[in-house]
Amino acid sequence: MTQEAVEVAPAPEPGPIARVLQEALPGVSIEPLEATGDETIGVMRDDFTRVMEHLFRDERLAFDFLRCQSGVDYLDELESVCHLYSFTHRRTVTVKTRCPYADPHVPTVSQPEAAANWHERETHEMFGIIYDGHPDLRPLLTEEGLGYFLLRKSHPLAEIEEWQEDYLQAVEEAKRQMAAASGHAPIVDEKAMKIQIAQQKAQIIKKTRDKARADGLSTEDEKRVVQEALAKFEEELAAAPPAGAVAAPAMSKVELAQAKAKVIKKARDEARAQGKSTEDEKAYVAEKLKEFSAQQEAGAAAPAAAPAPAMSKVELAQAKAKVITKARAEARGQGMSTEDEKKFVAEALKKFSEENK
Amino acid sequence: MARETLVPGERELETIDINVNVGPQHPATHGVFRMVISVDGEIVKDLDPVIGYMHRGNEKLPENLDYRQVIGFHDRTDYLAQFNTEHCWVEAVERLGGITPTERSQYIRVILAELNRITSHLMFVGAFGTDVGLFGTSFMYAFRDRETVQDYFEEITGERMMYNYFRPGGVAWDVPEDFVERTRQIVAQVRKGVNDLDSLMMANEVVLARCRGLSPMTPAKAINWGITGPLLRAAGVPHDLRRAEPYSIYDRFDFDIPTGTTGDVYERIVVRMEEMRQSCRIVEQALDQLPDGPIMAEGVKRVLRLPPGEIYMRVESPRGEYGVFLVSTGSEKPYRHKVRGASFCNLSALREMSIGHYVADVILILGSIDIVLCEVDR
Repeated sequence: MTQEAVEVAPAPEPGPIARVLQEALPGVSIEPLEATGDETIGVMRDDFTRVMEHLFRDERLAFDFLRCQSGVDYLDELESVCHLYSFTHRRTVTVKTRCPYADPHVPTVSQPEAAANWHERETHEMFGIIYDGHPDLRPLLTEEGLGYFLLRKSHPLAEIEEWQEDYLQAVEEAKRQMAAASGHAPIVDEKAMKIQIAQQKAQIIKKTRDKARADGLSTEDEKRVVQEALAKFEEELAAAPPAGAVAAPAMSKVELAQAKAKVIKKARDEARAQGKSTEDEKAYVAEKLKEFSAQQEAGAAAPAAAPAPAMSKVELAQAKAKVITKARAEARGQGMSTEDEKKFVAEALKKFSEENK
Repeated sequence: MARETLVPGERELETIDINVNVGPQHPATHGVFRMVISVDGEIVKDLDPVIGYMHRGNEKLPENLDYRQVIGFHDRTDYLAQFNTEHCWVEAVERLGGITPTERSQYIRVILAELNRITSHLMFVGAFGTDVGLFGTSFMYAFRDRETVQDYFEEITGERMMYNYFRPGGVAWDVPEDFVERTRQIVAQVRKGVNDLDSLMMANEVVLARCRGLSPMTPAKAINWGITGPLLRAAGVPHDLRRAEPYSIYDRFDFDIPTGTTGDVYERIVVRMEEMRQSCRIVEQALDQLPDGPIMAEGVKRVLRLPPGEIYMRVESPRGEYGVFLVSTGSEKPYRHKVRGASFCNLSALREMSIGHYVADVILILGSIDIVLCEVDR
């Protein structure tokens, strides 16, 4: 078994600026760094002010113009980057210095100081780097401050959507619980459901596409795979509509009150029939009510005991009409008088009502 | 200001500084920009610019997009010089990724970027005229030609403002067949329009009286403040990135860098007027040299993966040095995407430029910086 050779990029040669600095500032570590275009050096933050002063003052360097200053979050450390330009020698140098997360202090750029003012304010605001010696480190772009450091990697961008999803789910759950507690049927929000389905679809598309890309599929294959995954999802959706759509309607408040009233009336009648005293009657009714509540709770806990679907009004009317037609035909067949016929039909209807109670 | 000597019997009046708030919704602030001016009478004692009303996280959002998707975000930083900003971004990606754009596409880019510089300066001159008190006259003259170019851009790119036309390796699609003739026509029209504007504004009594000698600037101060572009050149520093650090194919053209001597507000306009003429020259030379050929480099993937590394790319936008600091870790998305807005840096010197001047002149000084708030706030 051969050990895989770890490719190590050769350390870049110190450029002309780094050489001048090393010569002028013995004891200061000037680390040449890799970058496209400009010479880049890294310095320790304790030496930062000395190096910057020297870059400004040394006539061989004379970096008098601050092009740009910004920060970079490297997860373990924060980096402050300065791009300097020399009008005398027409060249650019990039100076970098790092500071740990726990102690994000970097010396301010003392020369050229005017240009650094706003850059440092912005970097302080966005990365939380504190520039020691800066005269006025107020937030720049957000007057009132953000309360978090926007450009740090710890401030997510992609996951915000996921947070929102969690939040929406929590809200939905709370709504459902409240509905169950108050006895109201949960309102099914069709728009929210559509959004939910769209979100699920988007996730499937993203997942499938990422997988297809990881597998190195061609663009057309990728499209096909995504289409297939979507079709599958739609099939599943048609087979089992998402929860919430068919939430069992709980007993409404009015119905509950009516049922309770019935229980009370029945219990009172029973108590009176047994010849109980007023106090005993009250106790009996209370007991019955308690029993009823317990039953209701048990019913709510086990929604499997779904209430038998009651005959709807329309169906009832249709059934009644049938009974009437049948009874009338029968009466006419027997040669009944009009009044007898009426009586016969009324009796049949009464019978039907009793059966359907 | 307190007088040195008092007339006998006259009591010295006690004065206080008053804070005057300008903006954020004010036509003279050229966008959503607020400044709190502390005045003693009519003299500015202190000025605090308040920015950030347009902060949209333009540096954060691209960290989640691939390199091609970021092009649109550069249209939305400096929305008056979209081709210049796009140019900066695609050049940064190309240099870091080792992509060589085709010859033809480079010429197309330069032609469009220079025409864009003209439209941006026309916008400045027109709007500045209204600041000075020429009301709509300069604006209408400037917009007559600006609209022509803008329509032409729309015809080429399909978009009126957010062009999204440059791509790493080339441009999105080829220009129309009659590109050369049409562009020559437009350049001729623009030249005439610039001359009209020049004679309308630069000899105007109001402009002369109000702008000459207003807020002069020495080269040393301008450099210390980080000022670039026409403001720096008006101060007498012949610094233009197209000449100092030629990017793309700018080293192939012959053009002058107009400079001023005192850096006052008047010279800042003069420099911009002359820059429009120089841009016309560059466009004409580029049209002469425009080669045929492909408009897109071969083998450039749609989703780019740049090697790990970093680059600070800068171009000369109409407002000065527009820079992008791009850090790549080898993935398909930028790790860090910093935008150095030219007007952000120029605006940071507004306080120093304005102190000691009249309140009414602060509007002119602000106008002469030519800020684009979307670039300032990002």
